[in-house]
Amino acid sequence: MKRRIFCLGAAAIVLAGPMPAVAGELIHATLYKNPQCTCCEGYAAYLRKNGFSVDVKPSNEVAEISREAGVPEKFQGCHTMFVDGYVVDGHVPADIVHKLLSERPPIAGITLPGMPLGAPGMTGTKASTFTIYAVTKDGTPPKVYATE
Amino acid sequence: MTATPGLWPLVGEGEAETAVWCYDNRVPGPEIRVRQGEPVRIVVENKLDEATTVHWHGIRLPNAMDGVPGLTQPPIKPGEKFVYAFTPPDAGTFWYHPHADSLRQLGRGLAGALIVEEPETIPVDRDILWMIADWRLKPDAQIAGGFGNAMEAAMSGRVGNTVTLNGAVSNGVAVHAGERIRLRLVNSALARIMALRFEGHRPAVIAIDGQPCETHEPVGGRILLGPAMRVDILIDMRGEPGRRYRVVDDFYDGLAYWLTELAYDSNPPLRKHSSDAPLSLPRNPLPEPNLDTAEHHVLKLQGGMMGGNGMMGMGMMGVGMSHGAIWAINGMSMTGDGQADMPPLLTLQRGRSYRLTIRNDTAWWHPMHLHGHSFRVLRRNGKAVPHHQWADTVLVSPHEAVDIAFVADNPGDWMFHCHITDHQASGLMVVLRVT
Repeated sequence: MKRRIFCLGAAAIVLAGPMPAVAGELIHATLYKNPQCTCCEGYAAYLRKNGFSVDVKPSNEVAEISREAGVPEKFQGCHTMFVDGYVVDGHVPADIVHKLLSERPPIAGITLPGMPLGAPGMTGTKASTFTIYAVTKDGTPPKVYATE
Repeated sequence: MTATPGLWPLVGEGEAETAVWCYDNRVPGPEIRVRQGEPVRIVVENKLDEATTVHWHGIRLPNAMDGVPGLTQPPIKPGEKFVYAFTPPDAGTFWYHPHADSLRQLGRGLAGALIVEEPETIPVDRDILWMIADWRLKPDAQIAGGFGNAMEAAMSGRVGNTVTLNGAVSNGVAVHAGERIRLRLVNSALARIMALRFEGHRPAVIAIDGQPCETHEPVGGRILLGPAMRVDILIDMRGEPGRRYRVVDDFYDGLAYWLTELAYDSNPPLRKHSSDAPLSLPRNPLPEPNLDTAEHHVLKLQGGMMGGNGMMGMGMMGVGMSHGAIWAINGMSMTGDGQADMPPLLTLQRGRSYRLTIRNDTAWWHPMHLHGHSFRVLRRNGKAVPHHQWADTVLVSPHEAVDIAFVADNPGDWMFHCHITDHQASGLMVVLRVT
């Protein structure tokens, strides 16, 4: 049990540093989620079926962790994941995460803003194209990374 | 009393002081102690660079003194003063905070306790206040920005990373073996719900939201304290001299921490046997609602993430929301500091008894606060609530229905809102009018 929770967000970023991904084995990811949100568990389960091992950590500061990782508020998803040196925010489809990890672009990571219906781990039917944005830490506006 | 920017050592010696907004240059604001039934006059001066007000949370006072900008008074502009004058009818533990730009003003530290003393106090060795606040601090001990984050507003609000007790991270509270303490717990956090356990001790609840109840031990020894709620407990220090006992908050799954420790000095117990006589407080002069004739209304709490059929995005189509609201009560939403031109959700006849069913149709917890009145908490999901509990802020769990009742005896327009401040500011707020 933690003595106090001061600076937990900062500690989380350090813990979530780059982890080597080994071809043919599961890719390790750490997913921070609101302790009272259940949909993020659905996303973790989806990733586990798609080549990832996922460590789910509850946090009351997902918004701050996401912001620190380079995701602007208007582009935040409902949870924040760190995988192989990148941030992946929201319900991004697994093939796009794999694309990110194979292309290894010089960005902080990618995000699918909000909680679109029909996205992996979400209920509902997909109503429109998912637009996944690339985010950086240098303050440049997010650019479209992929659509699906 | 002056609202002003200031510096305060929230995280303790050797660490940077935190830039806060506070009353009278201290966090929490001054502990105001007044006597039941005696007039109070408090001059509030605004030295912030934005407008403010002060809401005297839980006090049954005249509407013009309730501190809601635009609704009960003009906002106190920078450099201006406002005189609050009222006579508290009830003894108990109350508190004060702004009702303007609430997320930032409360989140940056503007809060204090208002204690109304009984004419005759109960026999305890000490009467102690714990104002428990929650802050989101960066590693340099300064308050993180990002107030009003839309994702947080649609979930559990801006819960912080540093919990303070009376304005500082606490390593321990000195106690003596054998003493009986009346401990007044106040949750002044923006959004953090707490579930406190006192390891090795058996606290008894004697009052909730300032209003005495039948003395009882909380279920599982766990005291549930939503934002703005107060619980007065009696606690007999039956631990061993020289030992320390943790006070644990384990409300959020997987995020338990300890708030402080009860640190016993090494002196022998004050007395050989602590009194077993359960103490109870004298009742306040609250009008009992007549449940046979009470008019009944259902207030549905709506919106947020994972609302309705599985999931909701932001914006929430379909429940008639306005002002970019994320939440609503029966389809109505006030946002920000409120919209005074919005019609009241209910108009109540003065002097009449009302029973309200607060039905939480959302996936999130909501401490629902009614201004200007205290209410009986009758039932949760149809099951009677024991110990004759009154409240001004009732914590409603996801998909729970809570029945409350009160006599609408205080005329005016009164806010009814969630006290998770992000929820309040994004639509979980309406007005009830008593004519």
